Amino acid sequence: MSFITSYCHLTHESCSVNGNVIVERDPESDDNWFKQLYKNQEFVYPKFYKMDTLSQAGFILSEMIKRAQPSIMNSYQDDEIALLFANQFSSADSDLRFKKSYEEHGTPSPALFVYTLPNIVLGEIAILNKWYGENMFAVLPKFAPDFFVNYSQVFLSTGSEAVLCGWLGIAGDQINVFVFLIEKQGSAGMEFNAENLKKLAGIELV
Amino acid sequence: MIYIGAEEIISPLGETAEENFSAMIENRSGITLVPNAGFNKGAVNLSKILNLPGENQFEGLIASILASLSHKIDEKVITSDRTIILLSSTKGELKNNMADPFGPPIASLMVRFNFANQPIIISNACISGVLAINAANNFITAGLYDHVIVIGCDLISDFIVYGFQSLFAMSDKACLPFDAARNGISLGEGCGAVVVSNTSAIFKNPPLKLMSGTSANDANHISGPSRTGEGLYRSVKKTMEINHISSDDIDFISAHGTGTIYNDEMESIAFDRLSLTHVPLNSLKGYFGHTLGAAGVVETAASMMMIREEILIKSLGFEETGTSKELNIILENKKSSLRTILKTASGFGGGNASLIIQKL
Repeated sequence: MSFITSYCHLTHESCSVNGNVIVERDPESDDNWFKQLYKNQEFVYPKFYKMDTLSQAGFILSEMIKRAQPSIMNSYQDDEIALLFANQFSSADSDLRFKKSYEEHGTPSPALFVYTLPNIVLGEIAILNKWYGENMFAVLPKFAPDFFVNYSQVFLSTGSEAVLCGWLGIAGDQINVFVFLIEKQGSAGMEFNAENLKKLAGIELV
Repeated sequence: MIYIGAEEIISPLGETAEENFSAMIENRSGITLVPNAGFNKGAVNLSKILNLPGENQFEGLIASILASLSHKIDEKVITSDRTIILLSSTKGELKNNMADPFGPPIASLMVRFNFANQPIIISNACISGVLAINAANNFITAGLYDHVIVIGCDLISDFIVYGFQSLFAMSDKACLPFDAARNGISLGEGCGAVVVSNTSAIFKNPPLKLMSGTSANDANHISGPSRTGEGLYRSVKKTMEINHISSDDIDFISAHGTGTIYNDEMESIAFDRLSLTHVPLNSLKGYFGHTLGAAGVVETAASMMMIREEILIKSLGFEETGTSKELNIILENKKSSLRTILKTASGFGGGNASLIIQKL
């Protein structure tokens, strides 16, 4: 058996951890929403500013999961936490920005090009945490609880002890991100199955 | 046991696995100098399919490969509710719809071929193909499906050519994997497919055995390989250990070998750490170019043909050792009975993946 031991939601309006709203977007701010979150949570990771929105969202929410469940940082070997992420539009926002760099701004930007793959966010999380485990990024037409349950179970039965999962629904201002942590040991968590995952995912996703 | 078979390839070298393999036996490359293909209209070395129809190329290639695949297996497998399609790709139908490169072509293919289950796109840069084949194995082992059709497909576009040019990652001649004079990749396009199943009877030709594969992240850099080959080392080590395969059991390595200075050097270090430098090895990028999300499937399919035809295929473009650890790179085609082969891939995002296939 395995458990959902922590989860975070991010929409265009707010960010919540385990169901409690932590930060609400300030529409008056000069900073975009991701930068507001970064500052509000007092993160110190300058590389954040180079990242695209998929990686920024993955960074912020995985850090929030770690704060909510700090034991993950010393309970596991460096290859025992797998990363399983998915979304609908791959790296479309970054792709459109890179296209703009060569069509409108005269030269293809290498700094944008390196983010034109959806799995880069997994690399960013792995680098930050020195996690050498299994990674997978899938593209699906909508959030699919069964996919996360099935493939997390595959990871958990093939050497991983925990799986950090994420649905990175970001298309411009349309933001619906859901990141959750699955652990084999997790007395405080909810049993990990499609039904519970649907409940926690919320109405907008399912 | 998990079986793998019905391999199929569409590339500039041919429209079937057999045509592609004939070209490989002749050591023919699909890479040509294509005029006006680069940024500022420069000529670029690409392995480009010249007669592709203009519209819906991604969907078209997948439809073509499914049609030819259907002659190599029990046709009912394609529509069975015990089958899922895994598609490995980085950019899908990008040229038609950058905002949604996968949704429309997949929805259309589902209707055309009447799949029972929603296909899953595996998009993990250059390891997508190997990862998708490993996922196929895992899905079947877990009892979720009986058959998985794995298709890898990626196309050349201005987008990716300009991108790799902006990184100064493109070779000024056809790529030279592992060679001392290598200086970058040659992009390629194509489509590969394999069928993974728990039932050998679905295959018209005898299948091979697919062993469990693994992946590991370098945790080092998003667009550069680890200098110590850490992730590749860890992935191959795990794959060998869980299958009880030693370095002396492996008869051939189908390496990633992109032709960039750093990637090929990294692979040589990882294979040295794994005591695999004696094993005959090639990179197939000299034949197909770097087909990105398709590469793992195309190259696994080609390696399966090598097992069947009992031949080690020359690593095209290699003449002189150009890595700090010397590898046993295949210099000329050579008849050889291959039993156990290792396929590896490494890519952006720090991903590394490996799998082992055995002759039955």
